[in-house]
Order: sequence, then C-alpha cells, then structure tokens
Amino acid sequence: MSSTDKTVLASAGFHGDVLTLVKRIGVRMQNYEYQHRKPMSTPACAQMLATMLYGKRFFPYYTYNILAGLDADGKGCVFSYDPVGSYEREHYRAAGTASALLQPFLDNQARALARIPDYIGRKNQQGVVFEPISKERAMTIIKDVFTSAAERDIYTGDAVDIRIVTKDGLEEHRFPLRCD
Amino acid sequence: MSIMEYNGSAVVAMTGKECVAIAADRRLGAQAQTVSTDFQKVFQMGPKLFVGLPGLGTDAITVSQRLKFRLNMYTLREERDIEPKTMINLVSSFLYERRFGPYFVEPVVAGLDSKNQPYVASTDLIGCPMETSDFVVGGTSSEQLYGMCESLYKPDMAPDDLFETISQALMNAVDRDCLAGWGAIVHIIEKDKITTRELKARMD
Amino acid sequence: MAFEFGGMPQFEAATCAHRSTSKALVKHNAGADVDEDEQQFTGPVPMFSLPRTDNPSEFLHQYSDANPDSKVKIQFAHGTTTLGFKFQHGVIIAVDSRASAGSYIASQTVKKVIEINPYLLGTMAGGAADCSYWERVLAKECRLFELRNGERISVAAASKILANIVYHYRGMGLSMGTMICGWDKKGPGLFYVDSDGTRLTNNLFSVGSGSTYAYGVLDAGYRWDLSVEEAHELARRAIYHATFRDAYSGGHINLYHMKETGWERILNMQDVGPLHYEYEAMKEQSMATTAD
Repeated sequence: MSSTDKTVLASAGFHGDVLTLVKRIGVRMQNYEYQHRKPMSTPACAQMLATMLYGKRFFPYYTYNILAGLDADGKGCVFSYDPVGSYEREHYRAAGTASALLQPFLDNQARALARIPDYIGRKNQQGVVFEPISKERAMTIIKDVFTSAAERDIYTGDAVDIRIVTKDGLEEHRFPLRCD
Repeated sequence: MSIMEYNGSAVVAMTGKECVAIAADRRLGAQAQTVSTDFQKVFQMGPKLFVGLPGLGTDAITVSQRLKFRLNMYTLREERDIEPKTMINLVSSFLYERRFGPYFVEPVVAGLDSKNQPYVASTDLIGCPMETSDFVVGGTSSEQLYGMCESLYKPDMAPDDLFETISQALMNAVDRDCLAGWGAIVHIIEKDKITTRELKARMD
Repeated sequence: MAFEFGGMPQFEAATCAHRSTSKALVKHNAGADVDEDEQQFTGPVPMFSLPRTDNPSEFLHQYSDANPDSKVKIQFAHGTTTLGFKFQHGVIIAVDSRASAGSYIASQTVKKVIEINPYLLGTMAGGAADCSYWERVLAKECRLFELRNGERISVAAASKILANIVYHYRGMGLSMGTMICGWDKKGPGLFYVDSDGTRLTNNLFSVGSGSTYAYGVLDAGYRWDLSVEEAHELARRAIYHATFRDAYSGGHINLYHMKETGWERILNMQDVGPLHYEYEAMKEQSMATTAD
C-alpha cells in the first residue's frame, strides 16, 4: 500500500511488480507536482495508472490494484483495475486472491454505505431503507470480511492494513488476523 | 474447461437450532449457454434428509437415482429411516467404488438425525467425507459461498433466521458467478415440518 | 518507405526486445522524424515494453487462460453482448454491462459504450483494457483531425484509423470486437472493426458471446422503417434475451440513439434483474388475452 494524503493505492499480486509500480507512480506524481505546482488529483492518478499498466500490455505487471481517495469535489472515489489497465470508478471493490470471497458480501452489505444510485440498490434486499454508512460501520465491515477471508484463503492472514482518507487527512490502522 | 464447471451449480447447507437448511440454484447450462432454469439439484432422501448434488448435471441425475435405490435397500433391510451420518457413509462408499472413473458430483447432505440434531456434511467427487458443525458448500460458486457463509453465519439460528441467512448467502454468491443462478430453491428442515421456498432471483 | 503511423510504436520486435527493459516502461517517440505529407497521426503514443524473448506475444500467451496448464493466471475481462443497427431515424447502439474473469463476475456496471465525441460512439467487446485504451487513442486522433481540418472526421475514416492501429498489432494477442457508430456528411454510419483487422459496414451488427441470441431477436423484429420507440424496444429486448441465455452477459442495459444532432443516451444503466419480471408479466398478460 502506498499513499499521499488524498490518494491511496492498494496493490496485490507479485510483490516485485508492486514495488516497481509504486516507485514509478511516486516518481510521476512528484514530477506532476513540480510541473503543475499542485498535487495530482485522484481521478488523474487513476487514468495515469491505467496508461502505465497498459504500457506493459505485452509483459504485464502481475498486480491487482485498487486506487482510492477524494476527487476534486471532495467526494470519495474507488478505482479498480485489471492487470493491464482496464479500470472503472466504483463505490467498493475487493481484489486479490480472496476477491471472490469478499466481493459478494460487499455487494450485500456495503451498497448502502456508498449511497449508491437508485438503479443498483442493496442487492437482494427489498424494502430496506438505505442510509449512508458511518466510518465505524465501514471499519466493522472491513474487519469482518478480512477475518472471514483469513479463515478460508491461505494467502490472506497475519494482519490487515486499513487507511481512511477524509478531508482532514489520512488515518492508518492495523488490525490483526489469524496468523497461520 | 473443467467438467465440474460444464453445467454450473451452487449448493449450500447450514445448521440452525434444531433445524437445517439446504439451498441450490436452478441453472443447467452447456458452458455459456443457459439451457434450463428449473433443474433439480437437491433430492429428498428421507422425511428429514436431503442430498444436494452440485457438479455435472447428468451425473447428478444418475447419482440421485442410484443413491435412492441403495437407500431403499437400506430401509427395507433395516426397517427404519437412515441416519444422516449413515447417509454420508453410504454416499462416500458409493462414490469410492468409482475411484478411477468418478461421477463428477460433490454431494452435500443435510438433515436432522433421530434425536432431531442438525447435521450437515459433504464429500468430494471420489467420496472423501467432511463433517462440519456450521455449513458446507459445493459447486462453481463455492468460493463466493465460503465468503458469504463465513461472514453471515452464526450458530443456533431459528428457522426464519436460517432461511434469510442461507438465501442471502446463496443469492449474493451466484450473483458473482456467471455459471450459476437463474433462480434458487431453499428447503428448511425442522423436526415436524419441511418448508420449501423458491426464490425470485436475477435471471442473468 | 514502408507504411507507418507517425508516432506509432514499432513492433519489429527484436529491436525493442533487446533494449534494456529496465528503462523500457513507457517510452515516448514524439520526436520520430515523419514525412509531413504521409503523416496522419501524431502525438506521443507510449512505446510498449516487451518481454525479452524471441517472440514477445508467445510470452503472455503462456500465462493467459488460453493455456490451461499455467499456474499463474492473468485473466482479462471477456464476454459481452453489444449490438448496433441503422434505421430510418439514425443508429441504435445497445450493450450489456458485465465483465467476467473466468467464470467470476468481475463487474456488473461496466460502461461498454465509449463516448468518443458528441458524434461518435464506440462499443467494447473482448479485452476491456484493449478496447478502452485504443478507443481513447482513437478519440485523440479524431480531435486532432478536427483541429487540423476544421471539420469533423467521417465515421469511415475514424473506424479506419482504429482498424489500421489494430492491424499493426496483428498476432500480438490484442482482443477486441468493436462497433464504431456516428453521423457525418453521408448520414448515419456504422462500422464493425475487430483485432484481426476486419472492417465492415452494414445496417446491423451484434458482437460478443451473446451476439447469436441478440441476432435472433433482431432478425425477427428488424425493419428499416422502424419507429423510434420500436427501435429502442427492439434493441432493449435483444440485449435482455442475450443476458438471459448467455452466462457471460448481464448486469445493466445501456442504449444510445445516434441522430443528425449527435448521440443521445436513451437508457442509462437499466437493471436487467427487474426487467426479466416485467417481460414475464407481459407474457402472461398476452397469454391471458389470447385465451379469452
């Protein structure tokens, strides 16, 4: 995971590619700031990452990425990627080896949290009133899903790093998981 | 392409307080092509006993019939209903007979025993049995089902609660699987009644 | 001089492959000397870094889902239903919104229509990254054409730019099946372009794993003199039936109408979940009336 105070990148997959990718993103974000005299916005960073991943279309970074942060309006945004740079702005996303375990649960529980437009609604739950989810509730959901993933996915465990981006800055947490 | 993924399927069973539930999707496909949306994957094997057969559709039919035959022979000889624990052993030895040319199914057994204690278990395609106290899953959506069950399940649920939990687990799991879904069926087994409900689900 | 696109990456692979890959991430060859007369497309297009093997395209192939023995799997989004047809009031484009990786549904909310500009639309089928990246490059080329020539690019020319680009990469494993649709001096335009280099124009196309089902519905209901409402409903129904039968299509329906004044978005992410039960109710209603 790497971050500025407005943008956070979570990257799973081959760690060597993760390190290289993070380093190269860092360089380009620095250069951008020097040239434009302002930090790169999260959506701009998202498009940049897509182009960088596609630049290795024939020799891909073996990484599954999620970019999150605040956009120009101060709204929260999550961008998810495939290894070669197809990306989409979403409200929530699970990636990596346990993605198939986590994503359906997020579909079920997290839609309300993200104030999703009418056309999606909380999945398979009719007549439920959707309220935007508090930071505490979001934290609970995240801890729960990672605890579940650690039970069944051999590649997930030890601890989960959580970062929260708000207008006031970045919060960092570490939550222990089962250690086998 | 794996033969276990040829038709697409999702089956899950869960224990509750003096009740068990078993649920399955309704799709039968030929790879990408959806052929049927009312295919039966769960079979009643006794007054309080069900077997789910996720995997290859044709083998699910054959296995259900041959299991029913062996079960009838058992009941005739013993003159009593089979225990779920005995059922899983019957399934297991039946599948191991075909060790080197297996039926492509991963049976899931759910029922109440003679003391009305909930019981769920499953085997792999060559009959390795696995008993659990909480839930078992099978089929193409098994990863998704594990994720859902692991986070939604709590012990000793009442029948209503169990129905809601198993339905949510199945529906949200198959909504992330191309090959399963197109409707779902849920059986709740209690000591004095069986409730069967068809779920209204996404048909894509 | 061999035909080339100014600024396009060179794939005489050996030269690229033996360059130091540590520097090869994103190289710009903006300064490439190009004959002004022959030059059609400019602007930096990134140089792709390649694996250092004799045959770079083989390298990725061994890790893709095409090779069942590989333990490392890099799976790209596949599976789609898209359709487009011309009729008396313009062009209709409709798509589903599912992205899958293997049998896992990666997303139900993908935008498979790319708004190139107010008079041009592109659809996505095949590799998601390939489609979105190259149609973005196409958008850039179309804008540059406008700035140079002071008029909009024709649909034929736009689709040919894309066809030429993907033809340049033939055999490298690009995967895209796309429709380019628009309105120019000649009226409505609809072209099919795929990664084999095929480029066709016709009144009706459907692309993707669900296309056969969509064709079935379209052929039964398509006429040139369809009314606007009839055309919208035909396209919606064709996509719906494809999402029902095809495991790799689903999610939501997006529908666009291309007119002389540019495109208009008719359906914005209509969920096919409830739509199925609407159509079921309509079926039962019509059966009840015939029974009477």
